[in-house]
Amino acid sequence: MLRKRIIFSLIYSQSFFTQSRNFRLQKVGNLQWLEKNYKFQDIAFSLDELVVIDASKGKKSISEFANMISQLVNDVFIPICAGGGIKSMSDAELLFKNGADKIIMNTSIYENAALVKELIQRYGSQSIVASVDYKRLNNKKEVYISDGTRKINLNLEEYLAYIESLNVGEIYLNSIDKDGTGFGYDFDSIREVSASLSKPLIIAGGAGNEKHLIEGLSIQGVSAVATANLFNFIGDGLPNARKTIIDSGQNIADWSKYY
Amino acid sequence: MKIVIVDYGMGNIKSISSTLIYLGVSDVILSSKYEELAQADKIILPGVGSFSQAMKQIVLNKIDLTLADLVMNKKKPLLGICLGMQLLGMSSTEDGFSKGLCFIDGVVTLFENPKLDLKIPHVGFNQVNPDANSLLYKNITGTPDFYFTHSYKMLSTASISASMCTYGEKFVASFEVDNIAGVQFHPELSQNNGLKLLQNFIDRF
Repeated sequence: MLRKRIIFSLIYSQSFFTQSRNFRLQKVGNLQWLEKNYKFQDIAFSLDELVVIDASKGKKSISEFANMISQLVNDVFIPICAGGGIKSMSDAELLFKNGADKIIMNTSIYENAALVKELIQRYGSQSIVASVDYKRLNNKKEVYISDGTRKINLNLEEYLAYIESLNVGEIYLNSIDKDGTGFGYDFDSIREVSASLSKPLIIAGGAGNEKHLIEGLSIQGVSAVATANLFNFIGDGLPNARKTIIDSGQNIADWSKYY
Repeated sequence: MKIVIVDYGMGNIKSISSTLIYLGVSDVILSSKYEELAQADKIILPGVGSFSQAMKQIVLNKIDLTLADLVMNKKKPLLGICLGMQLLGMSSTEDGFSKGLCFIDGVVTLFENPKLDLKIPHVGFNQVNPDANSLLYKNITGTPDFYFTHSYKMLSTASISASMCTYGEKFVASFEVDNIAGVQFHPELSQNNGLKLLQNFIDRF
């Protein structure tokens, strides 16, 4: 039976890993800090996947970001998904060459369908994850691109239909309202859209503890839960959370079982 | 130990090469040249992306002839991973119809989804039922989890020592025929299970 997944997301901005709150970024530490506090060679056994996003506002340096990825992924044997500011085939190629197993795209999904098609043809749809940032206003769900700064003219349901028509491999759905709050995912919106999606859905934004991860995993149309909370899962946070989640009966891979 | 990863310009191979180096393989190189592949102790055929595009690149670079000689005639051990595994089969219906390398009697088709209740691609860890005669899963007990990410799958009625996985339907997660092995999943992204499996390929093929 296909397992659901727990994903850890790292938000990177101008050489620092950050804690994002409603898309306002707070510097936490550089790669050395991260390696000291999150040993991915060990922690990877509590995770199913790692997502690394360059959220630098304005101009992003893909080459600097790719260089950081290549250092981060040494001896980590889980899928690495990387992105942020991918605008061309050569941007994508650089990330793949530096250790990304998949790429995550946001603004270019909306603005450059031709690029998405070309990437799918070369790397396969399973290599492309569409990142979708949205806010809830009354009962409407508005979609934003360019690191949450520009609203588009499609609502969330319309935009998800457009993304599915592009045939990207997965959808990473992130609530700007809940981002970094630790109050839990935007369960109402997730339940409204998840059932009708034909692509695997990763939910993000708001998870503060393992209860939130469990509640997210128990939604039928959700394939994976992501957290980017650098503070709440520090040290043994992730291994402990995974144990609690497995003990709760959720269908996730149990790495400890065979060794 | 020298392992050559077949380089035909498709997708990312850094994860595979760094995993082999981690496992202590002294010589890991990328190449599509006959002379270099001929010197390999073992060959890995990787690949992500489209079957038809991959076959075009393989034929263009005469990799089909190289592998036919080294793997089929000279019996050099070969492991196909993901798309690389599918390419070893007879054909795929991806982008119409494409002929494969035809080393293994298996055909590749899109996942059946009659009730539209399956999310495609099939992404994530799923459990494999190892074939009783398998060498790849030696010292891996139970129904181990491996990381899959694919929309097309292989079926076979031939005796290819297939280990099966289920996603809506049963499909070939791996096969082993003499010196040829193929895995639909990514061992290099499958934690300890994947490391053990690759070690078994290195030690036992």
